[in-house]
Amino acid sequence: DGVAILPAPSNLSVHSANMKHLLVWSPVALPGETVYYSVQYQGEYESLYRSHVWIPSSLCSLTERPQCDVSDDITATVPYNLRVRATLGSRTSAWSTLKQPFNRNSTVLTPPVVAISKDGFHLVIELEDLGPHFEFLVAYWRREPGAKEHLKVLRNEGVPVHLATMEPGAAYCVKAQTFVKAIQRHSAFSQPECVEVRGEALPL
Amino acid sequence: GLRRCPISMDMRHLQESFQDIQRAIQANDTFQNITILSALDSLQGIKPLDVCCVTRSLLAFYMDRVFKDHQEPDPHILRRISSIANSFLYMQKTVQQCQVQGRCHCREEATNVTQIIHNNYNQLEARVAAVKSLGELNVFLAWISENYQDGSA
Repeated sequence: DGVAILPAPSNLSVHSANMKHLLVWSPVALPGETVYYSVQYQGEYESLYRSHVWIPSSLCSLTERPQCDVSDDITATVPYNLRVRATLGSRTSAWSTLKQPFNRNSTVLTPPVVAISKDGFHLVIELEDLGPHFEFLVAYWRREPGAKEHLKVLRNEGVPVHLATMEPGAAYCVKAQTFVKAIQRHSAFSQPECVEVRGEALPL
Repeated sequence: GLRRCPISMDMRHLQESFQDIQRAIQANDTFQNITILSALDSLQGIKPLDVCCVTRSLLAFYMDRVFKDHQEPDPHILRRISSIANSFLYMQKTVQQCQVQGRCHCREEATNVTQIIHNNYNQLEARVAAVKSLGELNVFLAWISENYQDGSA
């Protein structure tokens, strides 16, 4: 019958960074034809309790591109099965299933992009908006021997945050890392960034 | 209260998932005057010592009965139920570790609470009971949120 004439997509894999999960595959090459793809998933609950149940991806039913953002489908820290099939007119391919189930706790967490600035004597930090999963651990210190490192936990509201009031003539450095509670992991720290406050150092 | 079994969970996402489907699910509840979880004022009276046991029992109730008995045709609602079910599965794994470590003991009081829930469920045809229990997820989520505030996301 015509169902399996269409070749199935191949080489499925998930690229995941900072809790954004992208399912990619090798497209079905049919010159002059537009092939569409549909993605389905099942969490560990479905595979354990209702293995016949596959759920249509929220973003990728009959999509043209050989990729699918499944971030809104992978919403628990358990293994997920993912599968794709091709469609051309009335013909559909067999399903291709990801070889290994994907768990979001394997996502790559990159050091956050940090922008620091001075507002008068105020040390201000602005953090990259990485979405609702992310908290930021910010460390800042005065650049001098034996300086104490101060820590602050920030959720990213997308607005600059006042970190400290600086003293004239001193330099201050900042670094940050992300923390994702849903997977209980944090990123590496960003490279320290420093700013200096002009003016005479205050007499001791 | 005594936190015997701290559970990490994304409570904000769980509540958002439920609120997104609450109206649709409750609209299918044909026995509005009967309750399965809500009748239980005793859920509020659970002692910290019994919190883990009741959590374990209610997670199992939803995983082994409610989600299994419910057939959902709407993909959007199915996604939300799947999200909740898989989040409960993740929580269940944490609770099971606590149980293995002897930190999730069940006393008679706690067992009685969940037995009442099962008895209520058995009074109704399975699909009807499943829809009602799904519609009362907010009772369970509120109870979890209250008892695991430092463990929730």
